[in-house]
Amino acid sequence: MSKILDVRDLHVSFHTYSGEVKAVRGVSFDVEKGQTLAIVGESGCGKSVTSQAIMKLILTPPGEYKHGEVLYNGKDLVKMSEKEMEQVRGKEIAMIFQDPMTSLNPTMTVGKQIVEGIIKHQKLSKAEAKEKAIEMLKLVGIPSPESRFTQYPHQFSGGMRQRAMIAIALSCNPNVLIADEPTTALDVTIQAQIMDLMKDLQARLGTSIILITHDLGVVAEAADRVVVMYAGKVVESGTIDEIFAEPRHPYTWGLMNSMPKLNQDRAEELSPIPGAPPDLLAPPKGCAFAARCKYAMKICQEVDPELTEHSKGHRVACWLEHPMAEAYRREAVEGRQSV
Amino acid sequence: MSATEKKEPILSVKNVKKHFDVGGKKILKAVDGISFDIYPGETLGLVGESGCGKSTVGRTLIRLYNATSGEVSFKGKNVHQLKGKELKQLNRSMQMIFQDPYASLNPRMKVMDIIAEGIDIHGLNGKKREDRVIELLETVGLNKSHASRFPHEFSGGQRQRIGIARALAVEPDFIIADEPISALDVSVQAQVVNLMKKLQRERGLTYLFIAHDLSMVKYISDRVGVMYLGNLVELADSDEMYDNPLHPYTQALLSAVPIADPSLKNERERVILKGDVPSPIDPPSGCKFRTRCPQAMDICASTIPEWKEIKEKHFVACHLYN
Repeated sequence: MSKILDVRDLHVSFHTYSGEVKAVRGVSFDVEKGQTLAIVGESGCGKSVTSQAIMKLILTPPGEYKHGEVLYNGKDLVKMSEKEMEQVRGKEIAMIFQDPMTSLNPTMTVGKQIVEGIIKHQKLSKAEAKEKAIEMLKLVGIPSPESRFTQYPHQFSGGMRQRAMIAIALSCNPNVLIADEPTTALDVTIQAQIMDLMKDLQARLGTSIILITHDLGVVAEAADRVVVMYAGKVVESGTIDEIFAEPRHPYTWGLMNSMPKLNQDRAEELSPIPGAPPDLLAPPKGCAFAARCKYAMKICQEVDPELTEHSKGHRVACWLEHPMAEAYRREAVEGRQSV
Repeated sequence: MSATEKKEPILSVKNVKKHFDVGGKKILKAVDGISFDIYPGETLGLVGESGCGKSTVGRTLIRLYNATSGEVSFKGKNVHQLKGKELKQLNRSMQMIFQDPYASLNPRMKVMDIIAEGIDIHGLNGKKREDRVIELLETVGLNKSHASRFPHEFSGGQRQRIGIARALAVEPDFIIADEPISALDVSVQAQVVNLMKKLQRERGLTYLFIAHDLSMVKYISDRVGVMYLGNLVELADSDEMYDNPLHPYTQALLSAVPIADPSLKNERERVILKGDVPSPIDPPSGCKFRTRCPQAMDICASTIPEWKEIKEKHFVACHLYN
């Protein structure tokens, strides 16, 4: 398999009145052709900023691409001009957003919003574009697409709007689809429909998907690989089996333990992660998670751990990975299992 | 829950309807005749998709809405007919925690005054007001220094704690929690749920827990009710509901919950519902779920299924069980 997208040491900051907010602080990952990569993390961990940075949707200023590369088929998107980016956005890499109500234009018919991209990127005539748009609406499972074509977003339900957005995103056959919390605003039954639709379309069109979410359930069912982010950094990445069966970072443990298992005893307490994420105006010197980590050592407060490879493809940024901490790590893992 | 069986219900809801006039001679039947009891010290979970009327139920119980018809009795008194002193007493014993911790705290009031508002109204200044607020803040895991701050200085989880402290200030028996954790991050959700459970143990509180996250509802609730388009379709003990769901809607809803375990991915049988929830202004005839039901029969279109106790303490409204 080949890498279609390779993000290398990306840093993104925002300049605000109170100072520089370091939203993304050195993120690296890659996406392989036809695969689904999930980025998980809590609000404010930088997962949405990362995805917007890939599409170069961050307004500069106040935003700033401080460092790093986003290689798409070997070309660095960060260095591209706005004009060149227009050829990438929609055509090569497309995006769907969390809130289908605010991300569709309420003053334009749904049909027109799909046709817009097709005309721009595929150089089709209006009539051909309309045909293609109706075909897309049919593909995403919208009944009576001909009459839906002339309707406005407010005439669609939440699930329908998300389908319409997927139709827009896929209308130019992009190689990469970035889905930023695509089902968070939807009910579980509709969520299941949309996730099924995305999987089905991926199998048919061979699209690579970056799925951004905070729902580990969605990740387990849809992703091939997972990147766990915390405070603007990648703390762990690996295949879903690695991440769910043997997570190695205490933050990943924390995320997993916070959710009730389906057979969880009601008398048993959940084990939340204490405290709250750090302020990225002044990120801590050492590991950003140290203040909330049960297993924090002295070095964690002082030096930020680097992302190191535990086994091929499974990478962890934690001092517990250090050979000198091995005994302590074993103790921590045992402690985690006894909880 | 064997202990609660003998007790009298703290809250009893009988055939409550709440209809909204949406103009153009159209009526939106948000809640269309539901009945259930809540027993002291238990947690009843109420789940369903958005627009099914679960929040309207909560708001009608606490009299934020007046019921169109039906009866809500709290400790034997009809909630919607109380006046004066008795109404004030009701407002003390029944409190609400809201979904959006950003919108439900007044941004121009300090935390001290937000929490003490109920204390002032009910004249509970036996102890010094300030001491009382500090005590409440500590109960919910905040501290003294937070009292002089404004809501915008807090994170979502902390705000939800303030909302809980405000509800507790008047020493209620019954709390309606309307999606109290939906707006919070996973790691913080567990903090708030643990806090709610601890308070329940210590103070014998009774909860109505409204949510759409089915795994959290299972964990926190003793019994769970499932709503669809203004009606309860199933009500049972929470283990029974999850192990042995009877209504096709409950089955579909449970099968749609993503499970955070990749090894189970291929073993599960999924019931994927087609289409969306129909409009509550013009709901389908007979059983309202029939348009999306994989097992719909002829009778479903003509007759409204009866709300029946199929097994002990397991109620369902579906023609499959007649």
